[in-house]
Amino acid sequence: MMESQAAVRDLKSHDDARSDPRESSGPSAVLERLRRTIDHVAHLLPAQGPISVFIHHNTLHAFEDLHFDEALQRGAQLFGNEPYLPESEFREALMQGRIRSTELEQVLREDLGEQADAVVAGLAQRFQLRFAMLQYPVWSGSSDEMRWLIEETDSLRRLRPEASAANRLRITGETRRWVMRDLRGCGTDNDDEPSSVDIPDWLRDLMRRHAEASFESWSDEKWDELTLELLWNICCDGLHFAPAPMAPTPPMRHRDLLLAVTDADSDLLVNEFMVRYCAAFLDQGFAQFPLPERERGFFQAFVRLFGDAIGPPQRWLNGLSSELRRIEKESLSSLELIQESLADLGVEESEWDAFLTATVLSLRGWGGMYRQVEQRADRVAKPIPAGSLVDLVAVRLLLDRWALRHIAYSQLGHRGPLSGLRSRLRASYPQPETFDTNRRAFQIFMLAQVLGWTPPELFALDREAWNELIQEVEQFCDRERRRIFHLAFELRFRVRTLDAIALHADRNAEASAVPRFQTISCIDEREESFRRHLEEIAPEVETFGAAGFFGVPMYYRGATDAHFVPLCPIVIPPKHWVTEQVDDSLEQLHQQRSKTRQKLGKAAHHVHVGSRNFARGAMVAGFFGVFASVPLVARILFPRLSGRIRSWFGRYLQSPPVTRLKLERSCPEPGTENGALGYTVEEMTAMLERLLRDIGLVRRFARFVFIIGHGSTSLNNPHESAHDCGACGGARGGPNARAFAQMANDSRIRRELVSRGLTIPDETVFVGGYHNTCDDALSFFDVDRVPESHQAEFIRARDALNKAREWNAHERCRRFETAPLSLTSEAALRHVEGRAEDLAQVRPEYGHATNAVCIVGRRQRTRDLFLDRRSFLVSYDPTQDDADGAILARILGAVVPVCSGINLEYYFSRVDASGWGCGTKLPHNITSLLGVMDGAASDLRTGLPLQMVEIHDPVRLIYVLEAEVDAVRRILDKNPAIGRIFLNEWSQLAVLDPRSDRIEVLRQGRFEVYRPTARELPRRASSLDWYRGWRDHLEFAEIGNGRHSDGRRPADDRK
Amino acid sequence: MTFDALIYILGLLVAAAPALLVVVLGTASLLRIRMSETLVNRAGQSVVIVGLLAAIAVFVGMLVSGSRNVPVSLGHWVSIPEYHFTFKLVFDRLSIPFVILSYVLVGTIGAFASSYMHREPGYTRFFMLYALFLLGIVTTTLAGTVETLFAGWELVGLSSALLVAYYHERPAPVRNGLRVWAIYRVSDAALLLAAIVLHHLRGEGDFSGLILSGSWPYGEAAVSGSSAFLVGILLVIAAAGKSALIPFSGWLPRAMEGPTPSSAIFYGALSVHLGAFLLMRVSPLLEASLPLQVIVVILGISTACFASLAGRVQTDIKSALSFASLAQVGIIVAEVGIGLRYVALVHLLGHACLRTLQFIRAPNLLRDYHSLENALGNRLATDTPLAGARETSGVRRWLFRLGMERGYFDVFLSDYICDPFLRFFRGCDRLEQAWLRLLTGNARGGGAAQPAVPTADRRTQRG
Repeated sequence: MMESQAAVRDLKSHDDARSDPRESSGPSAVLERLRRTIDHVAHLLPAQGPISVFIHHNTLHAFEDLHFDEALQRGAQLFGNEPYLPESEFREALMQGRIRSTELEQVLREDLGEQADAVVAGLAQRFQLRFAMLQYPVWSGSSDEMRWLIEETDSLRRLRPEASAANRLRITGETRRWVMRDLRGCGTDNDDEPSSVDIPDWLRDLMRRHAEASFESWSDEKWDELTLELLWNICCDGLHFAPAPMAPTPPMRHRDLLLAVTDADSDLLVNEFMVRYCAAFLDQGFAQFPLPERERGFFQAFVRLFGDAIGPPQRWLNGLSSELRRIEKESLSSLELIQESLADLGVEESEWDAFLTATVLSLRGWGGMYRQVEQRADRVAKPIPAGSLVDLVAVRLLLDRWALRHIAYSQLGHRGPLSGLRSRLRASYPQPETFDTNRRAFQIFMLAQVLGWTPPELFALDREAWNELIQEVEQFCDRERRRIFHLAFELRFRVRTLDAIALHADRNAEASAVPRFQTISCIDEREESFRRHLEEIAPEVETFGAAGFFGVPMYYRGATDAHFVPLCPIVIPPKHWVTEQVDDSLEQLHQQRSKTRQKLGKAAHHVHVGSRNFARGAMVAGFFGVFASVPLVARILFPRLSGRIRSWFGRYLQSPPVTRLKLERSCPEPGTENGALGYTVEEMTAMLERLLRDIGLVRRFARFVFIIGHGSTSLNNPHESAHDCGACGGARGGPNARAFAQMANDSRIRRELVSRGLTIPDETVFVGGYHNTCDDALSFFDVDRVPESHQAEFIRARDALNKAREWNAHERCRRFETAPLSLTSEAALRHVEGRAEDLAQVRPEYGHATNAVCIVGRRQRTRDLFLDRRSFLVSYDPTQDDADGAILARILGAVVPVCSGINLEYYFSRVDASGWGCGTKLPHNITSLLGVMDGAASDLRTGLPLQMVEIHDPVRLIYVLEAEVDAVRRILDKNPAIGRIFLNEWSQLAVLDPRSDRIEVLRQGRFEVYRPTARELPRRASSLDWYRGWRDHLEFAEIGNGRHSDGRRPADDRK
Repeated sequence: MTFDALIYILGLLVAAAPALLVVVLGTASLLRIRMSETLVNRAGQSVVIVGLLAAIAVFVGMLVSGSRNVPVSLGHWVSIPEYHFTFKLVFDRLSIPFVILSYVLVGTIGAFASSYMHREPGYTRFFMLYALFLLGIVTTTLAGTVETLFAGWELVGLSSALLVAYYHERPAPVRNGLRVWAIYRVSDAALLLAAIVLHHLRGEGDFSGLILSGSWPYGEAAVSGSSAFLVGILLVIAAAGKSALIPFSGWLPRAMEGPTPSSAIFYGALSVHLGAFLLMRVSPLLEASLPLQVIVVILGISTACFASLAGRVQTDIKSALSFASLAQVGIIVAEVGIGLRYVALVHLLGHACLRTLQFIRAPNLLRDYHSLENALGNRLATDTPLAGARETSGVRRWLFRLGMERGYFDVFLSDYICDPFLRFFRGCDRLEQAWLRLLTGNARGGGAAQPAVPTADRRTQRG
């Protein structure tokens, strides 16, 4: 299954840190090599950490040094997953116009280059052949399917319905002519005369059967039948001597060979055992009875647990306990045991890499989690020691040996050493289906009909021509076809996007007046619609986008929180701690409430745990069980109402309303104690200056600047954190926004800023806010500090923002099938509020689904453009940057890993939801408080669930940078981390000229000028007019003209 | 008279409503009519509402009329002198609360599933199985004869196994569904045997014939102690299989493969209680035989002890909840054995509601833990020693392994019961083949040749 050698070998060459494994020998050196091999193999494991802090990352991060296409092929092969969408989906897109035939042609021509016109077997040009294979569904089923088609369907009697009328006519017409002219006589007995063509026996037989036939009076159906019979026979004949395709190498692992030969799966035994033990060891505090002697480490605890004299009674584990006792007595280390196991299994050192890769990947979810927890001990409650993954491999190999021995004996009667098992199994390894000549012939047979290849034409082919033909067809296999489809799919989207930006870019001149108020929200594409609606409601407002931690990295603890949470991108470990503190006057109330919370929490915990126990459970169930029916029924039938009731009660438990962030530090060193919390004035000034310069907000400050972080809350959703702010490392960015506003209002910091050339006027007030992207709630922090002079204005601004969130909810609802398209905006808001409170809702929001573009530049260039919630919007003013693009470089340094990570994770989870993603959410089961499995004992499932990605379009993110091409070029060269994403085409890159609408696109390392294909964009008065009534993706359009500044929309005229 | 007729019609409606749903959804599926999600939902909801209201109406009617036992007979299926198979429903103090509970829980889960399963391929299939389950549970609950009970029992078993294997494109759910099915068959066989013995003893399967003088919970067994023991022990085996009591407990965590609502409905709420319900139904029979009572109590207590140990070891929420469920079911069974019938009934009703809520909320675990930690201001303490931290490490390890390996019951059943069983019959099969070959004189046996592709086959010969 895993032909991993090639992929691994190649990766190895990229791994510079790795020294030559064969430089030294001796027992310790061998072990060291082994350890390094495992360490190296571990890079391939999924890099997803604990699920409560979900961080989006490129699923194939380990392959980022390779070109996207190559990495995809390698990764797909190694992990056994699909690299692209299935062909049927692409074909559907072709029908719907989401792939255009002309663009498909263009992509194919570019891909083939000079080989496009080569003629294949004298039948067709390579381009024609491949294009036809893209246009018509190519049959590529299994041998069994072929047999079924032949025996149970009309496939040998009727021409394929997809074949065009012209081709049908051509095929039957030519056949008629051929039969009448050349074949008619050859069936009769007097065929002694030497004929010009060598007529094979089968054809003679066939004609003999029809010797008596009066061809002239035959119906069309009869001719069809004869045609197809001839065609099928000719194909079988032609391929009979074709060389066999390259045989795939048999798999490395004993298990895969054994499975292929005997149908018995040793992983079934081992994995179930391993899953339970792995979960028990890694458990973060769920089980009431934790693993005994966990502190000894994974391996030792295992040895002790199963080494007792009365060992596990499973038959396949006979003798394990005495082996474990031996291991304990000889105090073998896990590495030594691995070495022993490999020797026992007969794996040579040259095979280590590939063999261990396949072994480690057989339980990749758990393996990956072990690696993550080992490396980021700060992110879990119960860390595990380094080397646990090595221990895991040791135990796995040990169990593998036991399972293999058991199965090999019970299925094959194999009693000898395991080292001989592989050679024995390889001998009887079944031949792959690609060898089936009939299957290959059937492929050509099906293809000939849609391409209009006639029986006489094919009959005339010689052996070389046949070989050429079949090779050509097999080379353009399913995966290759999907690659072309995928490129065409992306091209369509790229053209649409760049057209829209180019056509729109020159419309908006620089605004001059001071705006009524300004907002800074996250770059998140979910805020695109929020900003757009705000701009429509209040046109004199200016909006900015910045990575949602707003340049304020911190560990944060709220007044009612137990722990500090890191709030910043995963690549930046925070160095400062911030807490929320209750106002002194309310301290007593706060204490009182936290005591109540504590009491209630204890009680809840008792019920929660107790209900699962023997006696307490009986008490709880017997006395209070029936009352559980009330919340049960209420929460399911009336989610929004019961949510409101709960939050009404909750108000009496929350922290008191007046709190402050403890932001300023007095000690020199930051820490978690009082006094060491927070930042110095210089640090705060620097953070503030950096963000304001990044987004280009250095003059024309309005009287209000709202800075709005975001996050998401939903119920019954283990992947809840995947909807939170990616720039906050899968957490909620409210505190960052609040901290930023609090700093920016500090007069000392403002004075400092003046000395750095950045003047914030005295009348400007910053207000922090928090946007919940699930229920579209919007809240503001420290409102009591808004000066009296600004109150009235604040209320007006808040109303506009509230209106905007309402319309944002409305636009989101068009994507939810359970929300009627005719909802009013108020009803839409209620709908999304209900979704967030609904236990039964598996799609509380669609998160980053549909993300496809990332625009870095001034908002003026994209304002009034309907981007369909598909674009990250990063504010950046190229006119304020230096020639090297220093600001751009640092923006990209933060934005590219986050946005590309999100986009690529969505890409992979979408193209193979159960392979790269974690499949459907419905059977998920939270385990060890770390992740989810399917059902009771499966591998840990990583990636995104089907329900999150189902509406996503898998296209690589298109970055549009408003900058000078030279500056971008220099940034790519200087920053390998950014450069490889674009140069290896993991994301697409376009550069928009800051002074014109000229766009240049990076293709194969070179910038090419983009020529727009459209002349004009659709234009509507408002976003509503454009999206109303549609569920699917929309084209980008211009919004404008009849704008209603009072916040009301034109009446709903479409039903 | 009209009052009786009204009760009769209402009683019929309670069982007929889910039957109608099965017919509607089943026919639509057979005829390949695609029903929209909304339509399926509406059908399900209206059936549950009609059934629930009818059950409540019967209940009110019985309160008003003061009758404690209302049989609704649907006629004989087979009737020969001295012997009959009857299809009969009974409303009494056991079945009324249970049927109302079933409707409330199944209805709530239906509402939950209608949005939870949204856009899932197999939406109609889920609701078809759901309807089948509802019909099964209502029939079992109301059954007045052992054969009626058996019919419902089978429907519940079938729909449960198919729902476990709902994701049939993956191997694990199918494998585990099959395992559930196999255990259910053992339990069904025991129930069937019990029915036969009962018929043999009494000439009918009516519970009223088995239990004399008075309706549930009062009454005395109409059979002697030894016959009671025989019928009783078979019923206990049936109940043990259905309720995952020792030694059949292994299937319970395996049944978590299906979507969350089906886990909730079976293992939290209803299916797992059916065994206990059966024992409650025949509780006078248990009392007729002391050894039987002792067996039931021991079975219940040991299941409860085992399940609470296994539950403590589990690291995933659904397995932990399923063992928690099992612990309570064990206690309920023990209560039935002791003869605390009302206590057992109240315990059962309360437990079903509570556990359903917990199952439904299972995916919320992380958030719940998070808010609990915030309330407590600390990590949650978990390491609660079993018996005051006095066990030696050896015992602790042994107990841990026992819990982690789920009491080795699965191993025991598969390695020491199933395997020998299979091997024996495979041996018989081989013997028969050999015998046949000997008799027919055909040394190779009549093995079928590979089905051939007509023309392609000829081609290979030609080459």
